[in-house]
Amino acid sequence: MASASVNVSVEAVQEHKIQEVTLDGQEIYIPPLSMSENLAKLAHKIDFYKDESEDKGKPTSEGEKEVEEEASKAAVQPSLWPWDNIRNKLKAALTEMSVLLDVLNITKEKRYMLLDHVSQDAPEAKSAIQLMAKKKGLQSAAGVLLAGAERLKKSQQEMGTRPQNEFHIELLKLRQNWRLKKVGKTILGDLSYKSAGSRFWQGGSFEVTKNTNIANGEGDNMASTRSSLEVVIPTELEGSAFVQVEVKTVEGSMNLTSAILRMPHGLGPYPSDAHWQTKLEAAQNVLFCKELFSQLAREAVQLKSFVPYIVVGNQIISNVFPNVQLSIVLCHSTGKKDKKSQHPGKVEHNHVLEHSLHQLLREVHFKSLNMSVPHPVTATIGVTKRRRMAGPEAISRRELLEMTESETLLEQIIKQTRHAVLRLRTMKVIDAVAAKFPDPQICAHWSCLNSSLESNVRVIITSQGYEAMRPTWQSLYLEIGVNDIKVVTRERRRIILSFEEKEIEDLLLWQISQHHIAICQSLARLLSWQYISHSSATGVGEMEDFATASSVLLVSPNSDKVIAVRSGPTTGLHVHMKSDAKDIDADLASILEAKWYNLTGTFKEIDLNRIDGRNFATKLELIMASVTRKR
Amino acid sequence: MSQPQRGVIPQSKEALLKSYTKKLKDDVKSMLDNFTEIVKLSRIEEDSQVTKILQAEQDQYEMQVRAANIVRAGESLMKLVSDLKQFLILNDFPSVNESISQKTQLYKHMQNDLDAKLMTLRDELSADLYELEDEYYASSYK
Repeated sequence: MASASVNVSVEAVQEHKIQEVTLDGQEIYIPPLSMSENLAKLAHKIDFYKDESEDKGKPTSEGEKEVEEEASKAAVQPSLWPWDNIRNKLKAALTEMSVLLDVLNITKEKRYMLLDHVSQDAPEAKSAIQLMAKKKGLQSAAGVLLAGAERLKKSQQEMGTRPQNEFHIELLKLRQNWRLKKVGKTILGDLSYKSAGSRFWQGGSFEVTKNTNIANGEGDNMASTRSSLEVVIPTELEGSAFVQVEVKTVEGSMNLTSAILRMPHGLGPYPSDAHWQTKLEAAQNVLFCKELFSQLAREAVQLKSFVPYIVVGNQIISNVFPNVQLSIVLCHSTGKKDKKSQHPGKVEHNHVLEHSLHQLLREVHFKSLNMSVPHPVTATIGVTKRRRMAGPEAISRRELLEMTESETLLEQIIKQTRHAVLRLRTMKVIDAVAAKFPDPQICAHWSCLNSSLESNVRVIITSQGYEAMRPTWQSLYLEIGVNDIKVVTRERRRIILSFEEKEIEDLLLWQISQHHIAICQSLARLLSWQYISHSSATGVGEMEDFATASSVLLVSPNSDKVIAVRSGPTTGLHVHMKSDAKDIDADLASILEAKWYNLTGTFKEIDLNRIDGRNFATKLELIMASVTRKR
Repeated sequence: MSQPQRGVIPQSKEALLKSYTKKLKDDVKSMLDNFTEIVKLSRIEEDSQVTKILQAEQDQYEMQVRAANIVRAGESLMKLVSDLKQFLILNDFPSVNESISQKTQLYKHMQNDLDAKLMTLRDELSADLYELEDEYYASSYK
């Protein structure tokens, strides 16, 4: 409504009309009319007749209309609601008419305002494009999010499907077995024996990495066996190693030509895709062997001995006994195949000694870590109980010095080697002697209770078929030590033998000869022969190479036969018999007892090979039985 | 962490743990912020200084970058989980000690077992060896 530019608002006064004033001055107000009451009041003021006649102009059926109006008036009178509608419409019509009037005015008089075409579609189209752009943007964002979610889901799923190979589970397993720590971004592990008491300079740190290309592995079975965890081992610890211990008999004092590295066949490198546990164990073993060897090499250089120890490259040579040398070689294969094939020669590797070397180093580790607890807690650490008790027990200086002496690994292993060599030699000698002499039966019983420095064997010499005759047993007890062999014979004589094989052999031969004499004595007693002389060192006859021959003289029960047995360790067994002297005078014979005949006469040797019998005891028994004449 | 009974945590470890907490909060916050921003961007703005097409392009790129940021935060959280696992595995000394003592027990048990077996074996072998030696030295085939 451009024309009505000034708004004048007319409002009713906000005061209620006073109906009356009471005597006490109180004013009674007429309550204001409500909307509907107001409307009804206003409706009363309209003169409908007048409107009707003016608007329509031609009252066609006056009477009829009147009646109708009257009826509607009568009906509407109480409430004017139906007219409200009409009034509103009229009002709207008025507004529209006013607007129309204004528009017409504007179009007609173009002085003040112009009507112009407005591009109606433009704002709508722009918002649609914007909407599209937003939609596209949201879609791409959603795509990025979904792709990310998919990737996360996939990785999660992968973890779920292979729980045994999952990196963290593997790491946990690794952690339970090895020492690990995190340095920066990398996880480092330690496979050295430092925590077990080693003081070796070389560290054994390895790196733990995650195997990422496992997911796109070519074969399923390959992927399942491979672990998602990899270890990176320093190059100097790669491959596999062992310490080869060899006891060799060499001609001459020292054989240096054998100082070459020989790689045995069985020791191959482990495959590159081996499990980390295998790799780490191999690397640890390499480290251990290196430590062992360096320790031995250091000791070999420091130790003073009559025959110096020789350290050549990765080999230590030491003389154990004359002509017997011990070589300790560090074999370390780094996985190069060509090296292996160069030495097809068989290596006599002593596993027992290698094992004891390992044991010795571990003992050293243990000792450096597990020291005895200081007794008053304030005392210095590392004092042994014996040293603590040295004061109260008044130990002499010499004993104290003895206490401080400790054996090096090399000394210990040489001792063990000596013992091993000695034991082997003894065994061989006993077996050889037993095989060489079938007649007295030589039986060796090795004791199961022995140590790496001491073992013992009991040698029993018996004659077959006469084992029940206890006194004939010639039993020896051999205690094999490091440098010598202690022998306790049947008569509790104690003999100490050196490492030479010949000495054991001689002793056994001597014991055999003694056994023969013993069996003669026993048989004489059994067959009631008289035992008239015994000499353990006969001065007559052939000279023995060593020891002395023994002899015994036996007389038959009725004193007509004499048997002389001579048994020497090297000259062997000789049996002589003297029969009745036939050249005694008849006169004398009448006065002499039969035994006097034995005083003279000649002995004749009996060829034992022509007597039946399995062994000497049987033969002698046969001879004795056959020459005994009944009275 | 999960071992409150461990008592005093070293300084560096504590700092590390704090950094983990911070990372977690940062990542979650970044996710939320980026998402809110995306939602905000999806509103059509009536008046802007730049042209509509440029605005649309910018909005699109911004949305993509923000979505990528959300994904990155998610992956960073995964990494955090993995880091936490690693931290726990490497620093959980009580459980390592437990496993060590368990293993020691196991090996001790095994050692006793093997020792007993070896002793029986030795006894049996020495008894058998005695008889075999008897037989060997008594036979004529040596």
